[in-house]
Order: sequence, then structure tokens, then C-alpha cells
Amino acid sequence: MKNPNRLIFILAHILALLLYGQTAFSATLKVCKSCPYTSVKQAVQKAKPGDTVLIDGGTYQEAGIEINKPLRLIGQNNPVIDSNYKGQILTITVDDVTIEGLTLKNIATSYIRDDAAIRVFRASNVRILNNTILNTYYGIYLQNSEKITIKDNVVKGENTGKTESALGNAIHLYYTDEVEISGNNVQGHRDGIYLEVVKNSKVHRNTSRNNQRYGMHFMFSNGNTYTYNVFRHNGAGVAVMYTDDVRMEHNTFEDNWGAAAYGLLLKDIRDSVIRNNIFRRNTTAIYMESSSRLDIKNNDFERNGWAIKLMTTCMDDTFRLNNFTGNSFDVSTNGTSQLNHFENNYWEKYTGYDLDKNGVGDVPYRPVSLYAMLVERVPPSVMFMRSFMVDLMDNMEKVLPSIIPENLVDEKPLMKRIKHDNDKEFAQVLRQTTGAAGRER
Amino acid sequence: MKPLKSLVSFMLIVALLTACSIEPKPIPYGEANCAHCNMTVADNRFGAELVNDKGKTVYFDSAECLAAFVNEQPEQGNNAAYLMVTDYTNPNQLINAREAHFLQSRELPSPMGMFLTAFTDKGTAQKMQQERGGRLLNWDEVVLAIQKNEKPE
Repeated sequence: MKNPNRLIFILAHILALLLYGQTAFSATLKVCKSCPYTSVKQAVQKAKPGDTVLIDGGTYQEAGIEINKPLRLIGQNNPVIDSNYKGQILTITVDDVTIEGLTLKNIATSYIRDDAAIRVFRASNVRILNNTILNTYYGIYLQNSEKITIKDNVVKGENTGKTESALGNAIHLYYTDEVEISGNNVQGHRDGIYLEVVKNSKVHRNTSRNNQRYGMHFMFSNGNTYTYNVFRHNGAGVAVMYTDDVRMEHNTFEDNWGAAAYGLLLKDIRDSVIRNNIFRRNTTAIYMESSSRLDIKNNDFERNGWAIKLMTTCMDDTFRLNNFTGNSFDVSTNGTSQLNHFENNYWEKYTGYDLDKNGVGDVPYRPVSLYAMLVERVPPSVMFMRSFMVDLMDNMEKVLPSIIPENLVDEKPLMKRIKHDNDKEFAQVLRQTTGAAGRER
Repeated sequence: MKPLKSLVSFMLIVALLTACSIEPKPIPYGEANCAHCNMTVADNRFGAELVNDKGKTVYFDSAECLAAFVNEQPEQGNNAAYLMVTDYTNPNQLINAREAHFLQSRELPSPMGMFLTAFTDKGTAQKMQQERGGRLLNWDEVVLAIQKNEKPE
């Protein structure tokens, strides 16, 4: 029994010794005006695998620095590397590289090469931390790599003086798995964060705003999670397309406003979860097409133009315990067939009653109004919003439903707004709505 | 009153004339949504459009979306006055899809994952093919490839 343990013990010691040895032999190459090295490129070329290149302040006019051995490239006192529009700055083609604390700027638009400030190609265990990337075409571009950390960076595109479509994406991932993207602030690019054919990655606590197309964009990327992000004032907050198994929780989708803007655009996605998000002031909070088996729960939809546009190509989606307040239209759809399920949501527009006082309305609520159907078919009719005739028509339809989809109905609408933060009250709502008798009040 | 009236009628005529002229329009990048996949049309190397026989224009974010649209609604494709795609080496430059040379190469990703880029000039397309590999297609072959969902190896 003891022998295997001892073996492990000895092995661990050997490993520790090896690691210690490596750190002991690694050197630090300093780069500054009065240092042995005055150029980053020079220092990187001279460095041995495992060394640290420390850049101490200053501005360096350099481009085309290729990192092809494991290195730590660390900046202190805000060093700046300015490529002066002469191609990429850092190209990483090897595993185990750390890039930290640098400011990288000025990459020209290059339609054929897709130049980036930092490009990682066929590498793993790369860490990109605390950098500032300004005025570039692509910011960080990962390609055919894995196990990458991108943390606390600022990537800011300059769109003054050029057409916005001449900008690439701030953080671009292509065929790259197991990535952690957290605490970054990305803005002014085409897409803030773009995941194309990416698996098992996590995107946390980032802010993505003022991007021309999407705050974040998924294409063919299964099994990813994004939580606690803010997507503000983008062409669309997030677009998830041709993707399965995405967890979207605790995000804020805000002020994605304009003719072609959405908070969250879902196209051909399956088996995903949308929980505890806030959708505020978007033209359309969620637009969904050909999407099925989604669990949409505990979200707040506040003051959107349309809270949900649910195309008839969607199936088996469940909407539970969401708050719908102050939206011009709660739900809109483009046909009469409907195979989705609504239950226990709070609808501000609900005018029913609760005689048995169990917190659940006694008459079902139909969130699609006749007028919403009309606007879907004849968009210019939106001019008549809030007119007397429209109100009259909507009320008629409520009494005698004929055009709105019959199956799109919340049989158990809640009487009170759900307070998601207050767990106790939340649990109570849950208990009450699962059929238990309500308390006397 | 009279000059105002003539001005108004003049403007009306101008508006009507511009509305009726059947010709390709520049793609409003960042404002239009793709008529097939609903993505915002944003990458000016890949934008495409279809102008129908009545002068109505629909926009696409890529040639593959235009091809998929034509596959789904063949009558739209057959009756179209213009099918336009963008020259990859010359962003914002719309070219006739039926005369364009397409390169499908693993090394050149396009917005909807079909690796299609268009070129005006055959020489440029061939040069790009030598550099990046892949195969050259004409428009009909593109439409067929999209129908069969053929991606490069």
C-alpha cells in the first residue's frame, strides 16, 4: 500500500526540482532607453525559452515581433508599442506565452491579411492580461489555438474619419477552444467578441459597447457560457447563430436601439438557457428564429420596443417567471401556429383579476395583441400606435380572439412583479404557482 | 404659392424617378440586415445584394447568403435585375455575381462559414488561389455548392 504513495512523493519532488530549476535558470531581459536592450524585438530574439522580457516605460516604434519560444513579455510603467501602421505587432506561434501590461496601437486596415495587434496561431496556454489596444483593425486574433486566457484588457477602435466597416473585431476567436475571456472592455469595433467555431469557453464580466455589428457573436460555437456581461449600444447586443448548448445568464442587454437592432438575436440555436438577464431599452429584446428547446427564465424585459419576437419556426421554447414591464409590444409573431410554452410570467399589461388571491391571475393572458400582428405584417402601421382605434381593436380582440395565435397564451400569469433578487419571495411565488394553496392575506 | 407648388411637384417627380430606377445601390453597411440570415451587414469585403425587376433591393452579408436565398426562392433569382457581390480586393465595389470569379478556400473565412470570396478579375483570383489554395468557381457553381453545403477540406 505504501509503495505507490512513495513513488508519487518522489515523482512530485523531482517535478518540483525541475520546475525550480527552470525558474532558477530563466533570466529577465530589460528593455528601456538606458537598458541593455532598447528594442523589444531585439530582446525577444535574444531571449531563451522561459525568460522574461521586461519593458520599462517608453514608446517603441516596432512591428512584426514574432514570439516563437515560451516567454513572458511584461510591461511596467505603461510602455507603448506603436506599429505605425506597418503590420501586426505581436505574433505568437508557440505555447506558454504571457503578454501583460502593454499598450499596443495603430494597426492599419488590411483586408487580405486581417492584421491584429496580437495574433495567436496554433498555440496553447497563452495569457493576455491587462493590455490596452488602441486604434487597430483586429485587436486580439486567436486562430487554431486552445487554453487561452484573455483578461482585463481594453480594446478600443477608432472610428472617426473612416467608415466603421473598415474595422475588424476587437477579440476574434477562430477554431479555438477552452478560452476564458473575462473583465475586458471592448468598444468601437465591428464585433466586440466574436466566437467562430469555438467550444468549451467562458465569457465573464466583460463590457462590450458601441460596436457596429454585435457586442458578442457566436457562429457554430457549441458548449459555451457567458455571464455577467454588459452589452450596451451595439448594432445588436449578442447574436447566437447555428449553435447548440449555450448558457446565457446574468447579462445586461441595454440600449441596443435602431432600425435593425436587437438585444439578443437567436438564429438556429438549440438546447440553450437564458436566465436572470436584464433586457432594457432595446428595439427588440429577443428576436428568435428557428430556435428550439430554449429555457427562458427569470429575465426582466423593461421598456423595449418588442420584448420578444417569436417566429413560428421556433419550437418547444419555455418562458417562465419573466417580468414584462413597459414594453410597447410584449410578444409578436408572424403566424398563427405556435408550439411554445408560456407560464407564470408577470405581464404589466395584464388586466385580469385574482379572486382566489393565490397570486395567479384567474383568466389567461394573451401577450400577442392584434395590433402586434398587424405591425408584423404591415410595418408602416406602427404609426397608429397608441391611437384610439388601435386600443379599441385590441380590446375587441381580447374579448373575441380571432387573429392572434390561440395557443400563445400564459394560462397562469402572475399578479405581482417577480423580485428575482429576493430569494424568499421568489421561492414563495414558485410554491404558489406550482399549485399549492395560497396564503390568506 | 406657385414656386412652392412647382418645387413640391418637382421633388415628387425626382422621388418617383429615383424610386423607379432599377439599378444596384450601395450597401448601407451597419444599417441593413441580411435578407437570408438576418445578420447585420457589416463587413464591406463580403456584402451582396439582389435588385428585383421592380427595383426593390435586398441586402446580404455574404455571397453564400445570396446564393442560399436564390436557392430557396428560385423565382426571385431568375427574375432579378441584378445579382451583385463585392470584390474582395476592392471593398465596397459591387460586381455582377454572374461575371465574378469565386474562390472557395479554407484559408479565407467568410461571414457565414462557406469560405467564399469574389473577385472581378480572373487573374487576381488565380493569384489568390496559388497563395491560399482552394478551388475557383463561377456563380452557378457557387449556387450549386451552397445547395449541397460543400465546404472546403
